[in-house]
This record gives sequence, structure tokens and C-alpha cells, in this order.
Amino acid sequence: MPTPIVTVTDLAKHYKVPTREAGLKAATRSLFKRKYNTVKAVDGISFTIEPGEIVGFLGPNGAGKTTTLKMLSGLLYPTGGTPNVLGFQPSRRQPNYLRQVTLVMGNRSQMAWDLPALDSFDLQRAIYGLPRADFERTRDEFIELLEVKELVKKPVRNLSLGERMKMEIIGALLHRPKVLFLDEPTIGLDVTMQRRIRQFVSEYNQRYGATVLLTSHYMADVEALCKRVIVIHNGKLLFDGDLAALVDRFSAFKTIGVTLANGFGSFSQYGEVLNQDTGHVSLRIPREKTPEITARILAEQQVDDLTVEDPPIEDVIEKVFSQKSAEGDAG
Amino acid sequence: MRIIKLIWSYLRIGVANEMQYRVNFFIQLLQSFISLATGLIGLWLVFSHTTALSGWSQPELLAVMGVYLLMGGIIKTAIQPNMQRLMDEIQNGTLDFALTKPVDGQLLISIREFRFWQLTDGVVGLVVLAIAIIQIQERIGIGQALAFVAALALGGIMIYCFWLILTTSAFWLIRIWELVNLFEGLYAAGRWPVTIYPNWLRLGLTFLVPVAFAVTVPAEALTDRLTPLTLLGAAGLAILLMGVARFVWRLGVRSYSGASA
Repeated sequence: MPTPIVTVTDLAKHYKVPTREAGLKAATRSLFKRKYNTVKAVDGISFTIEPGEIVGFLGPNGAGKTTTLKMLSGLLYPTGGTPNVLGFQPSRRQPNYLRQVTLVMGNRSQMAWDLPALDSFDLQRAIYGLPRADFERTRDEFIELLEVKELVKKPVRNLSLGERMKMEIIGALLHRPKVLFLDEPTIGLDVTMQRRIRQFVSEYNQRYGATVLLTSHYMADVEALCKRVIVIHNGKLLFDGDLAALVDRFSAFKTIGVTLANGFGSFSQYGEVLNQDTGHVSLRIPREKTPEITARILAEQQVDDLTVEDPPIEDVIEKVFSQKSAEGDAG
Repeated sequence: MRIIKLIWSYLRIGVANEMQYRVNFFIQLLQSFISLATGLIGLWLVFSHTTALSGWSQPELLAVMGVYLLMGGIIKTAIQPNMQRLMDEIQNGTLDFALTKPVDGQLLISIREFRFWQLTDGVVGLVVLAIAIIQIQERIGIGQALAFVAALALGGIMIYCFWLILTTSAFWLIRIWELVNLFEGLYAAGRWPVTIYPNWLRLGLTFLVPVAFAVTVPAEALTDRLTPLTLLGAAGLAILLMGVARFVWRLGVRSYSGASA
């Protein structure tokens, strides 16, 4: 078994945040006497990641995803627990470590705004001290993969959001890092652009065997790229495993779709009818009853076609979080 | 070697940035000439009415003014823009990118910006210095020239460290624009030799804000007033400030939390 690329044990980050009531009076008071709240952004999570894995980090806003990525990329000092990435302690920010990782943030840019992206790429070459031939080969390879031959010559400010994101990704990968921390790399992009970015990440992962940690609010990203997901909520780890297992574990229902030979039939005795048109019915049934009910429908109705599906992954995730929040409120 | 290459790359980006917009480029050029001319005219007006001041003759005062302008040019070209960018990035959280690069963070944030238009202030300073030296009518020896360059370099280092310490406080205080204005006000006091000020102010301008070392001391080197002891003191203080700045920077980065995504 290979040694893990990332090992995280009991990782924690607590912030002290000043708080005050609304209004001028409270603002004046807080100039002199501040009240602080401790926010446990990350509260004791552990996991390991193997070389070449693409792992999706899931969680609602404020769950601690970005904080975790920032601790792994060396930006934040953990309050507790020492992460280990590639054998380094990230917060020491040793050049040999930073040369092997990269951080992409979907909502921030490191490109020089008024200049063509090519100039920013050159700057990256100087920062990472890359040999010119290597640099140019990698750069041209990426430019071709993302089909941006003309765009790299335009000032970055004249590019669309999606085009700019392509530039960000090229710039962040020119030094061919072994570990990629991608924080919402597709945020705000249209579906086609999201797909291009996704394909590129997957291509890079395969070509260079890189390990990828990705956060995204778009389940399509996660479904397409990540076999494994880590779910965190309120700074705690809820689930770590295959995406398919997440669905198994958290969705209590399946959806059965039936196409009827004669067009009509009564189905309410089998389960909750979600939708009934002429010739087609969809039903929601408890997961453990699926085999039995499927058999009954096939026996009792005149069926042309029958499908059994898991609910959309978005619904599953939403359910996981709403369940957990309710538990949290209660206790 | 790599550092020089890196500085060169940022210089090129800075110049390319200025040339990206043609009209703006030429307006800047024009503006620089205007500010050069008005600067010189203003100085000439002031100095045609000033005589000696607490032991400094008129041309010697002009030399102080020259150093003041030269150092001001250096600050505005290379030091202040970098510190302002650092301040912005601490506020916006984009400092993340600088801190994830395999280059020393302090070095990187100190070389990224270069406003070469502000060099005009420096040019005015050099012109004023040249005029002053001609008027002083004494030969400047190699030793004096070297002492002057050394004092200027040490002064520059001290101002840089002072700025860095000030800016790094943004890691805790987040918004510190007012401190910047405070610096500009205090630096303006440097246009006269600090010896003309009352004791308390002189001490403040020497040790709290190193204006005395940045301006008066180099001018002393040119006017034959500099003692080796002062130069040695300047070197000692520069080293001390570098240490403090480094320490504060490290502490700041440690407590950097980044603007949340």
C-alpha cells in the first residue's frame, strides 16, 4: 500500500471573532471593550488521501472546507493537530513544499488585470524558477488543452469570467504541482465552461498522477471527478467514503419509474406517487422495500418499462445537512 | 541571482502595465514633466528668500532638501506602493497567493510594485542636490561620496523597515490607512535638518520615525558634518530595525487569517 500524500489527524482551527449588537451605541462601546466569540471553524477532523486520488470536499457555506484547504496549503496555522502533506508540515511553508502544491480560488485572481495572461505566466516562471524550455512546453500544452491560443494574448480584463478562470488554472499549474487544492474552481461559470474545467482537472490528474482536493457547490463537478467524498459540517467530519456509499447511507428512498403498456393504472397502494402522466408514473418508495415493490408492480400491472433510481445527489446532500442541523439544534 | 531575476520580472511587468494604455502613458509623461518643473520653481522661490538656519548655510539647506526629495522619490517609487498593495491584500485576502509561493514571503511582498513615474521626484532631488553641491563650492572627496551613498542606503533600509512594521500591523488591525497619513506628515518634517527642532521632536524623528537617518544624516555626509560614530550608529540601528521588522512580519503571517471565502 502506498504512503498517503495527505495525513490529517484531529485538525482544528478556532477563530476569535469580535461580536457586537447592531447600532451606533454598541459600536461606540465596542471601540473600547470588545466581546469575542470563539468560532470552531474546523473542530477535530481526520483523514488520509492516497497519491493520485481526487477527493471532493462537501459541506454547506461555513462548514470549514476552505479553512481546511488553507491549513493544508500552509496559509493558516492550525489550532490543533498537525497535518502532513508530502512529508511536510504545511504551516512551515518551506519552499520545497510550496513548489509541489498549488491553490486555486474560484473567487480570487492572481492574474495582472491589465496585461495579457502570457505576461502573468512569465512571472510565474520567475517565481518558481522554472527552466524556460520546460515552462514553455507545459504552458503550450495547457493552452492547447484548454483551447485558449488567442485568449492568452488579450488583456485579462477583457476576458469573460470563464475564460479568466482558464487562465487562473493554467497559471496555477505551470510548475506542475503534485497536489492541487481547488477551492470552488467553477463558481459562477456556465455549464459548458464548468465541464471544460472539469475535463482539464481530470486530464491533469491522469497525465501527472497528481492528487486533487476539491471543494464545489456544483454536484456535477463532484460526480464527474470524485470517486471519494469527505463531508464536513460545522467543522466536524460527517462522512468519508465513496460517493455511492454516501447515497446508500443517507437516502432512505428510491424512485421507481414505470412506463405503462395500457396508459392507466392505480399506483397509490405501492408508495407515494410523485408524478403521473399518461403512460408514465414515478413513485417514491422506502429503500428496503424496493425489491418487493418492484416485483409486485411487475406482477400486478401491465408494464412496458421499469427503472429504479437513486434520488439526485443534491437532494441527498441537502437531506444530510438538514438532518444534522436539526440534531445540532436539539442537542 | 534568482532574486535579481525575480525583481527584474516584476519591473518588466510594472513597465508593461504602464505601457498597456497608450494615452495614459503619454499623459503620465507630460504630468511628470509638469511636476518636475513646478517642483523646481517652487524650490527656487523658497530659497531666494531663505538665508542660514541654525548653522546650516543656504546651499547646505538646499542639499538637505535635495536628499529629502530624492529619498521621497525612492519611497514613493519602490517602498510605499508595495506596502499599500500588502495592506490591500491583507484586507481582501488575496495575500493567499503571495504566501503560497516558494519564495520568502517578505521578499516577495517587497518587490512586486514599482511606480517608475514617481522617479521624477527623485530626479528633482538629484537636480537640487547638484545645484546645492555646486553652490557649496567645496570639493566632495571620494570618502564623503561613499559615506553619502552608505548613509542614503542605510536610511532607505530604515524607512523600509519602518513601513513594513507599520503595514504588518494590518494583520491585526486590518484597516490602517490613517497610519499612512501619519507617516507622510512626519516625513514632511524631514525637509529641514532635524537639528533645528526642539529636543523631544528631534528624538522622535530620529528613533520613532527614522527621518533623521533617512535625510539629515546623508546630507551631513555631503556637508562635512558626519562623524564615523553617527554612521556606525546608523548601521547599528538599520540592523536592529531589520531584525524587528522580520520578527513582526513572521508574527503577522502567523496570525493571518485571510478574508474568508
